Amino acid sequence: MSINWLVNKFEYSLFRHRLAVLVLFALATLFLLWRATDIKLDAAFSKNIPLKHEYMQTYLKHEQDFGGANNILIAMCDASGDIFNANFFDNFRRAHDDVVYTPGVERVLVKSLFSPSTRFIEVVEDGFAGGPVIPADFTADAEGLARVKENAEKAGIVGRMVADDYSCAMITASLLEIDPETNLPLNTIAFAGKLENDIRGKYQSEQISVHIIGFAKMVGDVAEGAKGVVAFFGIAIVITTIMVFLFSRSVMLTVLPIACSLIAVVWQMGLLTVLGFGIDPMSILVPFLVFAIGVSHGVQMINSTGKRVAAGMNAKAAAQASFRKLLVPGGVALLSDTVGFLTLLIIEIGVIRELAITASLGVAVIILTNLILLPVLMSFVRFSKSYQQRVSEPSPATEKVWYALSAFATRRYAAVILVCTAALFAYGYWQSQQLKIGDLHAGAPALHEDSRYNQDTFLITDRFAISVDYINVMVESIPSACTSHDIMDRIDQFQWLMENVPGVQSAVSLSSVSKVINAAYNEGNPKWRVLPRNTQSLVQASSRVETSTGLLNADCSVMPVMIFLEDHKAETIERVVRAAKLHGTELGDAETRFMLATGPAGVMAATNEAVSAAQQPMMWYVYLAVIVLCLLSFRSVKATAAVIIPLYVVSVLATALMTKLQIGLTVSTLPVIALGVGIGVDYGIYILSTMSQQLRDGMPLRQAYFEALKERGSAVLFTGITLAIGVSTWVFSALKFQVDMGILLTFMFIVNMLGAIVVLPALAAFFWRKNN
Amino acid sequence: MHKYFLAGCMSVLSLTHLAIAVAETDDEIADAAPKAAFMVPLAERSLLTDVVAIPTAGFAAVGERGHILLSADGRQWQQAQVPVQALLTSVYFVDADYGWAVGHDATILHTQDGGKSWQIQQFLPQLDKPLMDVYFFDRQRGMAIGAYGMYYTTQDGGDSWHKAFYLALASEEDQEFLAELAETDPESYLLERESVLPHFNRLMVQGDEILMVGEAGFVAVSQDGGENWQRLENFYNGSLFDVHRTKQGSLLVAGLRGNVFRSTDDGESWQDISLPQSATLNSIFEDEQGQLFLTGNAGTLLLSSDDGQTFRDLSQTDGRAILNGLPLAGQLVLVTETGVRLTSISKSE
Repeated sequence: MSINWLVNKFEYSLFRHRLAVLVLFALATLFLLWRATDIKLDAAFSKNIPLKHEYMQTYLKHEQDFGGANNILIAMCDASGDIFNANFFDNFRRAHDDVVYTPGVERVLVKSLFSPSTRFIEVVEDGFAGGPVIPADFTADAEGLARVKENAEKAGIVGRMVADDYSCAMITASLLEIDPETNLPLNTIAFAGKLENDIRGKYQSEQISVHIIGFAKMVGDVAEGAKGVVAFFGIAIVITTIMVFLFSRSVMLTVLPIACSLIAVVWQMGLLTVLGFGIDPMSILVPFLVFAIGVSHGVQMINSTGKRVAAGMNAKAAAQASFRKLLVPGGVALLSDTVGFLTLLIIEIGVIRELAITASLGVAVIILTNLILLPVLMSFVRFSKSYQQRVSEPSPATEKVWYALSAFATRRYAAVILVCTAALFAYGYWQSQQLKIGDLHAGAPALHEDSRYNQDTFLITDRFAISVDYINVMVESIPSACTSHDIMDRIDQFQWLMENVPGVQSAVSLSSVSKVINAAYNEGNPKWRVLPRNTQSLVQASSRVETSTGLLNADCSVMPVMIFLEDHKAETIERVVRAAKLHGTELGDAETRFMLATGPAGVMAATNEAVSAAQQPMMWYVYLAVIVLCLLSFRSVKATAAVIIPLYVVSVLATALMTKLQIGLTVSTLPVIALGVGIGVDYGIYILSTMSQQLRDGMPLRQAYFEALKERGSAVLFTGITLAIGVSTWVFSALKFQVDMGILLTFMFIVNMLGAIVVLPALAAFFWRKNN
Repeated sequence: MHKYFLAGCMSVLSLTHLAIAVAETDDEIADAAPKAAFMVPLAERSLLTDVVAIPTAGFAAVGERGHILLSADGRQWQQAQVPVQALLTSVYFVDADYGWAVGHDATILHTQDGGKSWQIQQFLPQLDKPLMDVYFFDRQRGMAIGAYGMYYTTQDGGDSWHKAFYLALASEEDQEFLAELAETDPESYLLERESVLPHFNRLMVQGDEILMVGEAGFVAVSQDGGENWQRLENFYNGSLFDVHRTKQGSLLVAGLRGNVFRSTDDGESWQDISLPQSATLNSIFEDEQGQLFLTGNAGTLLLSSDDGQTFRDLSQTDGRAILNGLPLAGQLVLVTETGVRLTSISKSE
């Protein structure tokens, strides 16, 4: 066989030049370790959105005129419940100025009571009167403050810039994608740090509390929480080390796989830096995953070598034999993982693509460190006599267990197992159909509900009449469209139809504001709250609205309809998007188009659609890759089916679990399913690769399975449990998405292992009828 | 606009009569086809402008976007199918079945089944003028008034509406000016006639007496069902939005910036009533016991138990404009800019 010939050739040259191999690895490791120290946490808003999606094309087109969805909101609240005092106004004004001069902020779009564009208009008997809400001659005495309060009411900014109950005031700012000082993409995490230190740090006091929300702050908080991941990483290493020692009962055999797995992590991080990537807070978990997968393969290697040493081989011969035995199944398993992760590249969202690259790079590296370096290292180990004795003592208890388990490969048990599996699958399939797309809970889904960030979100949405969940439908039309009654009226109809969609809190557009202004021109009589048909009157009403309101561009050829939502649950967004498309088609024409969408909820809509659209193809590609690799290595359809079927059942069950636990399919959970398949396939491949040759030779199935369990069963069981324990500690993480990933991965590790040990032999019992 | 004036020119009958009827031809080309109102859940939370009792059959409210709502008990409201989206400003039922509603685009709608279905009697979007009030003496004879002195009458239940112009409703100077113009330049006269009259905002009819108020302190009285009009002497320059004759026979007018005037001598002299607030007042209504209510912008709700001499502030804290209302068993049905609501009146003085 050509593969065997290749493996032999490779093995021969590898173990012939062991020292050279070690030196090469040492040099590479030193170099990559040096590079890895440069690795940076790196987050950018644009990486989180599906830029190719049609909504995001609209978004990018209008970002210049209307600002993006990358905003921050800073609410400052006075402990007395009333902001109208000199101390508050002094601090608030300084905070406003600090925000304006923070690098990365679009200065002209900073809005608060103190921005010059914050003006009021009032109707008096002979027309309009107006001016800045905070007059030029403002002094913070009782009279001046009373006047500001009155002006704020007239300006209609209560609820937006001032809390409904006057306990807080708001500063809003838009962030630039490129930092004008450095001409580099804005460092979001550093920016968040600045907000924390220069705004919250400076102005938070007994009297004044500071609440900051917005994408940049959220990422900053996630990055902060991600630092905790290092602790989890440490815990995982300790737990794994103890487990490996219990398993191998040898210090050397514990140290080597752990060290090789850590080398894999170092290589991965070093390579990322060499390739010019940073690590996104969202993929901070990948190094841990790489470590875990490395250990899992390392354990197979030490298990195989240890068994051979116990059988009387010397270390070099044992390591060499293990290498030969495991290179193909291990390589296939790791390649499946790699390809599995690479399929994530089809999703056009920056963070997921980075995750795909980070993870596939890490797993590919394990082929080198744990399938090549590890056996070479082990060939140098001197095993003591006592170790040989300890390991070679036959353990009748374990054998009994393995023999009992091998009953799964008998037809009688197999039938029961398969019926149960089918039932579970049916239930899981039904549940998985109800999987929700997107975020299911209020606040920032990456963080816990009681996190500072989400508490601030709840405070702001509670005290202000604003929602951070809004979607803008951009009405693109001809220049001066706001002077056309027909176009303005269609925008008005659209807005009204959207306001009637369940889940919509309110909406605003140039049309609705112009109607109120028209009433104001008619002595404030609400019966005149219409769009005048007469062009002059219409212009009179709409020209009162400035572009700084974000309701029109300079020549009013683009007018957004801002739709505020009650929440950002996927079903709410989906319902609103569906209605917007329907009414937009009805009311639009070639000249006037209702284009989706910008605003935070618009971005979420695009992301949800991208994630939802990617789910099926991603699964197809992952399975296709795994199937092809299995076919190549087993050269048997039966064997491939025996590995893939349990894997697919587990995928479906994992989706059902997501439904049950109310975990939505999001940018952070979508990759878990692909990762789960990639990792889960390892068990089946290891078990079946020992069986397939013996089955071909005609060995009875139960016997073949019993042999496979004796050879690799303990390693499979051990790996599943170790990995599961490691990831299950994530439920204590400060990051909500890490908790979700932890739960899902724990489930995947355990249940895939059970699938390989229980369902795989049961399937085999029916596939290899001749071997009974 | 221009087209309309030409049509008006050709149908002038006489310049010497005080009232000049101008027939609106049915084939007048509308520049926008009427579009049916959307049937939507939030109709009862939208801007509503008027609410009336349908004799023996419940209540009707009208408002923006062609919204007409019906209720049997003043609590549960149901939206009716309406063939227009214009902002409706007023509704009137002459009995349990026959009713009319008017609004922007000089719209006049008619129902013969208690408001369940509505037909368009008049829809003139090219005028860009709103009708503000409608009244019917019986199933046949009615009138509708509105902005820029719009005044329509019908003798056949609205099958045909006739434009009316009363010179007496113009100010004295304008009357003289117009009389002169009519002789020297008939064409300019017709154009000028369109602009001399104020906005007519509201009617109050009792028997043959009609009271009408409008822009710039306009108050006029007709004692013969609208045949002849007399404009009262100006006592205030701001807009008046409602007029009311109380059960005790006093007259009350209310308008811009909280201005209320009371007359106990049929309009000979007026007394300025001072109010605790200054928001614009939209409507006046009275309950069975003769308690008077004023509603206005910024949540204004005022109550008088002494025939309008003094008012007590019952304003709503939400600050929403209240456009009109009616008493219902110790409570008030209010129509506001955020829909219809039922409010209890606090008894405390």
